[in-house]
Amino acid sequence: MAQPDSQELGQATTAIHSRAQPDNKTRRYDRQLRLWAASGQSALESSRTLVISASATATSILKNLVLPGIGHFTLLDPNTVSPADAGNNFFLNGYASIGKNRAEEAVPLLTELNESVDGKASIKSVDELLRTDEGRQWIKDFSLVIAHNLPKDTLESLSSLLWEDLINPPLIVVRSAGFLADFFIQFHEQCIIEPHSESFPSLRLTQPFPALVEWADSIDYDGLDPTEHAHIPFPIILVKQAQKWRAEHGGELPKVYKDKQLFKSQIKDLQKKLDEENFEEAEAQVWRITSDVLLPSEIKELFSLTPLTTSTDPSNAAFHALLQTLKLFVESPEGPRCLPLTSTLPDVHTDTESYVRLQRMYKEQAGKEAALFKKILSETYPDKPVDDSMVDLFVKNTHHVKCLRGRKWGSWEEDKSAIVESLEVYPKETSTHLAISALWSLQAKGIDVTEEALTADILSQLPAGTTLPDELDNAIGELTRAPTADLPNTAAFLGGMIAQEAIKMITKQYVPVNGYCVVDLVDTWTGIVGRA
Amino acid sequence: MNGNSTSSDWDGRYFHVDQILDKAGPRTDESFVPGDQVKDFLRNNCKILVIGAGGLGCEILANLALSGFKDIHVIDMDTIDISNLNRQFLFRQKDVGKPKALVAAEFIMNRVPGVKVTPYYGKIQDKDEDYYMQFNLVVCGLDSVEARRWINATLVNMVDPENPESLKPLIDGGTEGFKGQARVILPTVSSCYECSLDMLNKPTAFPICTIANTPRLPEHCIEWASVLEWPRVYGDKKLDTDDPEHIGWLYDVASKRAKEFKIEGVTWSLTQGVVKNIIPAIASTNAIIAASCCNEAFKIATSSAAYLNNYFMLIGTEGVYSYTFEHERRKECPVCGGESLDISIRKDWTVERLIEMLVEKQDIQIKKPSLSTPTKQIYFQAPPQLEQATRPNLEKKVSELVEEGGEITVTASTLPFNLSLRITYT
Ligand SMILES: [Zn+2]
Repeated sequence: MAQPDSQELGQATTAIHSRAQPDNKTRRYDRQLRLWAASGQSALESSRTLVISASATATSILKNLVLPGIGHFTLLDPNTVSPADAGNNFFLNGYASIGKNRAEEAVPLLTELNESVDGKASIKSVDELLRTDEGRQWIKDFSLVIAHNLPKDTLESLSSLLWEDLINPPLIVVRSAGFLADFFIQFHEQCIIEPHSESFPSLRLTQPFPALVEWADSIDYDGLDPTEHAHIPFPIILVKQAQKWRAEHGGELPKVYKDKQLFKSQIKDLQKKLDEENFEEAEAQVWRITSDVLLPSEIKELFSLTPLTTSTDPSNAAFHALLQTLKLFVESPEGPRCLPLTSTLPDVHTDTESYVRLQRMYKEQAGKEAALFKKILSETYPDKPVDDSMVDLFVKNTHHVKCLRGRKWGSWEEDKSAIVESLEVYPKETSTHLAISALWSLQAKGIDVTEEALTADILSQLPAGTTLPDELDNAIGELTRAPTADLPNTAAFLGGMIAQEAIKMITKQYVPVNGYCVVDLVDTWTGIVGRA
Repeated sequence: MNGNSTSSDWDGRYFHVDQILDKAGPRTDESFVPGDQVKDFLRNNCKILVIGAGGLGCEILANLALSGFKDIHVIDMDTIDISNLNRQFLFRQKDVGKPKALVAAEFIMNRVPGVKVTPYYGKIQDKDEDYYMQFNLVVCGLDSVEARRWINATLVNMVDPENPESLKPLIDGGTEGFKGQARVILPTVSSCYECSLDMLNKPTAFPICTIANTPRLPEHCIEWASVLEWPRVYGDKKLDTDDPEHIGWLYDVASKRAKEFKIEGVTWSLTQGVVKNIIPAIASTNAIIAASCCNEAFKIATSSAAYLNNYFMLIGTEGVYSYTFEHERRKECPVCGGESLDISIRKDWTVERLIEMLVEKQDIQIKKPSLSTPTKQIYFQAPPQLEQATRPNLEKKVSELVEEGGEITVTASTLPFNLSLRITYT
């Protein structure tokens, strides 16, 4: 059947697809490249992560970073493998590893997962490193530091060191005992151009650009044949109907419920026969007229955000330059007085020709606005060129960009009223976090872990007369049961969680957690307290 | 075992896990007896089945082994592909092409001494109830909806109220990118997989008329190549989406069509993504979901702590958002509900229209349904003779064949259960 046809096709095009076929590396990483693309991958590959402690949790975290291909990691641990370590850590050689250094035993089993990752073991102690300038500098030279179950004092020095300067790497503090855990990312600022938000950017139908208006004006519903009528793209229908409404309502768009319903029914009435999908689509997309957001308030807020200092991370500096350019763009009389237009259209029920025409219109207009943006950028920052691909990416994502400000690990606890309030609003999450902090505090003081001692420590941190929620009993009960347990499943769970956050921090894509993420694997929940 | 350390077992090995097994916690059921008995059950008597040795399966096997399960069975019908290596951490480049179940089992046994992993390289449907009856628990890490529906229905059907041992807890996990879910199903007691079918994302389907006449997106061109052009050119030859030559052909044909219609964006990766329905997958999300599945398995096997009731959903794209809730049983669930599903249709609907509706219905998701009433056959998809004999009914009105309030039994070769519909007319 039709054999010649296939041969013809095959011969004519072999050359095309053999060039397009992905190489081995792309094939290996295919399932993750579909999330963070080549840009995210190259960020991962140039990252250098320090992991402190070679516990089961720490090696689980590393496994999930080595597999997707981070550039380099160092695993720091002066301790030898105990029989308990050999039993709960997958990245040790079981019984044979007992008595050997934990980091040195684990690293070969981790690097073996992905030959493109460079991994090193260091048998130094973090406390020693923190004591010398050289050691402190060594820690600061990494791009990310992750610490699991370090003692309270060590955590305090480490977090202070890394908080000292804006250019220091972020720190992820992970604490776990039995079924309970919490973790916190200490960072000054995280600028995210690609948060991969699922919200849709405005198609600017309430403030249509000339080409859209022209098309909408040219439509005479009654003059079209049935096929043409059924193929008017929904953005054109909406622009036309919005203009009609405005003309009849003193320039206003439908705002109250009744008017919105009326607007909808007017579109419905335009249908010439049942089931005209383009009109049904227009009806379903009426929110693009009634709730069109040309300048989201979150983006407007960013305009007044002052950069931390000039010495910050160069890519953050570029982000702030772009943000200020965006502000000028919005204010510019030459521009649309809102965010630049998106160049990507959703699918629209219409014929190919109309769709391609609409798509070209959006591309052209978006191109013009991007050119204006670049002009403003080069005029405003003549001596600070920003990489062109970063500018394009930023312009494409102006509806979504984010700039998070973090805080120092442990600083939330200094705000007693915030804790008291959090105990009322998030009793189980806050209790669990406080109970873990109390456990760390008892261990630092060498006090036996009992329910009474944990409760007393928590109360000593809170204003007199604070009532503790009943949920606290669940947390302190679990902690006294298993104060030093690094359970395989908890370790694996945290291994996934922390790696996800590390990937978000490194790629600057997606949105990392801000505050303490608290985990309870008895009832299996996670929650957040102490957001910055 | 006490005081006796060898390379396959040693003192202090379970120091971490034993902190849980030696003492009850505040949310531990009263029936829990801490100490040697529960450890002995976990390590010497408990038999657990893992379905799937892929992204979740590799993680599940490692976690179970470290938790102290020593008799683990694993089923998987796939072989290792290079695109698995970014997350399926028991496999290496040299293993590409080998059966996942076998390689995974061997890796675990080498790394975690004293654990026995019995692999089966094949389909879950190859095994019967006697096979599934031997396990205490089943943990499922699959990416196929069909296979999950099958194992779910099989385990629900196996429950014999007279025999408590016949109730096999099913722990199911699934991931997509930075999102995932884990759940505990106690067949016939709590909501089953089928009960929650409507929670699945609707698969993107492109109407044939768009593909054939009004392509707009690169995806439309790719669908044109795979759905229309491939069978036209190659007839009955099956499209093998794992064969780069086949993907290459589709890519070429789709690119040509895209060029003709001035559509941009056909790439190799998109072609592969569309025809294989690729779901993004990363190690970290699999680790989280597999860990929660194994944690539930551990808690259920040992009664050492309360377990998940019954659904944990995680969204990691924007911060860490999770939601733990009790998914309710559906009384009209075709697997565990026992009541028939009320369907109201128009009096002038044909059998063909009803079938179309069933295929589209999110809480049913049936591919090629066959229909019958207690007294007659309405339409059968197979065997060919029966299909031919019942085909004329497709154009008949349902109301001519089934009276008001009458029942229709729906079957499909992919499902191990019948769906019963009660028809009313509007
Ligand atoms: Zn059910």
